[in-house]
Amino acid sequence: MVKFSHVTRKYGNTVAVKDLNLKIAGNEFVVLIGPSGCGKTTTLKMVNRLINPTSGTIEVMGKNIQDLNPVTLRREIGYVIQQVGLFPNMTIAENIGVVPHLLGWDKNKSRKRAAALLTMVGMDPETYMDRYPTELSGGQQQRIGVLRALAADPPLILMDEPFGALDPITRETLQDEFKRLQTELHKTIIFVTHDIDEALKLADRIVIMRAGEVVQDATPEELLRHPADDFVAAFLGKDRLSNQELQVAQVMLENPVKAYPEMGMAEGLALMKRKKVDTVLITDHGGRFLGSVSVDEVNAKHRSFNTLGEIVDQDTPAIEKTAAAKDAFNRINEEKLPYLPVIDEKGLLVGIVTRNNMVNALASVVWGDHNGSS
Amino acid sequence: MIIMGPVEWLFDFWQFLEFYSDSVINATVRHLTLSFGAILAGIFVAVPLGILIANRAKLARVFLSITSIVQTIPTLAFLALVLPLLGVGVLPALVVLFLYSLLPILRNTYTGIRNIDAAYLEAGLGMGMNSRQLLFMVKLPLALPVIIAGIRLSTVYIISWATLSALIGAGGLGDLILTGIQTYDLNFILAGTIPTAVLALLAGSLINRLELSLTPRGLRTQG
Ligand SMILES: Nc1ncnc2c1ncn2[C@@H]1O[C@H](COP(=O)(O)OP(=O)(O)O)[C@@H](O)[C@H]1O
Ligand SMILES: [Mg+2]
Repeated sequence: MVKFSHVTRKYGNTVAVKDLNLKIAGNEFVVLIGPSGCGKTTTLKMVNRLINPTSGTIEVMGKNIQDLNPVTLRREIGYVIQQVGLFPNMTIAENIGVVPHLLGWDKNKSRKRAAALLTMVGMDPETYMDRYPTELSGGQQQRIGVLRALAADPPLILMDEPFGALDPITRETLQDEFKRLQTELHKTIIFVTHDIDEALKLADRIVIMRAGEVVQDATPEELLRHPADDFVAAFLGKDRLSNQELQVAQVMLENPVKAYPEMGMAEGLALMKRKKVDTVLITDHGGRFLGSVSVDEVNAKHRSFNTLGEIVDQDTPAIEKTAAAKDAFNRINEEKLPYLPVIDEKGLLVGIVTRNNMVNALASVVWGDHNGSS
Repeated sequence: MIIMGPVEWLFDFWQFLEFYSDSVINATVRHLTLSFGAILAGIFVAVPLGILIANRAKLARVFLSITSIVQTIPTLAFLALVLPLLGVGVLPALVVLFLYSLLPILRNTYTGIRNIDAAYLEAGLGMGMNSRQLLFMVKLPLALPVIIAGIRLSTVYIISWATLSALIGAGGLGDLILTGIQTYDLNFILAGTIPTAVLALLAGSLINRLELSLTPRGLRTQG
């Protein structure tokens, strides 16, 4: 789909990209990553000729792009930038319809396309089509930025740190959404970022760059197992650590109120009352987590059932103790859970994370009295 | 001059206006013609020129300096300077006013386009707009409020400076003021001054409204 052969780009004495050789296959999701100034943006912009190489050739879909009209070429390649750049003088539908308009689609067709794309990311077309960009949140704006690149259904999409300006939670939502889109749309994507977690999450293949050169070109798996050198290891390590700093096991409460399935209804009620909780977690005699019973359930069903085991809610969500504390926090927030039981790799109940102790854990991280955190 | 109370004076001024209504109306029409002729010509020259110099730094410096220098020439001296070249009458007045109108429009068009956030231009180019499409779909709509502000500034100034064109026989409300000066008649001076001020204010607020109705909703919310 895209092939760089001996591509070099200089700015005066600065070599932004040095003798780059890179082949990107159809439907591949390639992430370019590296420290600021290493030549990622320059590499990306040479593909749609916003920047021309000093030497070397680039082929897109088998054609040397130097032989193509840049304007025509760009209309066939989606382009998403960090600053979004939605035109403030155009409505959302018009923004999504820019490339279709340039390609001469009629207005109806391009509005229909905009509506279909909005629906695809869960934004109601009726509500959003005729709004202006300033009336949308940052996350919504970048969603439109992505849809705009998809509008004319280009086979290749270039993205330059598209989620870099978003807050962490919105960023993650958009990453997940985009990952899902990609599995449906099968585009070839070249994606620039400096966030290694983002790269590991999205990429089929990661190209690590330093000072204009490729240091390693590998799948996320290979990269984690066999970093090419100390630079790569440091690059992977630093960010890895900061995110794995806090695991669920470090923030959970270790003695949740629990009971065996044979416990009688009245006894269960008394237990909850004594411990001042409104839910009790149920395990078997080996400690394996079975589910939960709430005080409301007991009150509602104590006439027709005898033991807690008969009314246990087996779909109670739980989280593994090695998961990132951040994930527990996100799930509690997003799924509006009052608590999350914590299990180990064998499914044994080892603790519980509640809204309250999550907040306390976060507070201690923020104010620095959690040992081991920086 | 005879000293009068305000009520008598107003009555007297009213009678004056009734008597001279034809001259006042004619002078106003002439004044408007001169001002708007100059402004329209100014827009037709300065807006395209501003667009042209927006991505040519050297040319921009040259044209902006020239128009700034024009602006610093005192109007009276300027009129005297064009006298030997163009003689008296409407044409030299139009030329002088036109040259005065250039700077605010040119400068605002230039800065309006220059100050467009680079992200919009990159997005436009990256999606495959050619330079014409980029101009009409992105640059001009985004710079429009600034350009119109320049036009408003020019218009208000030109309407007031147009009074001086009476000095070279171009007519307009300045004629009444001149007559008033020559005959020590306050009524004439006021009959020239008040309509000029009213015209300037009206034109300014009219352009304000025009700007508002031309600015798309998405840009208005930014204030
Ligand atoms: N227009 C330019 N003029 C001069 N130097 C530039 C220009 N664009 C980029 N560079 C230089 O080229 C190098 C690579 O830049 P870039 O591709 O933007 O890096 P990245 O996107 O990885 O942060 C940097 O050293 C940068 O300073
Ligand atoms: Mg960059």
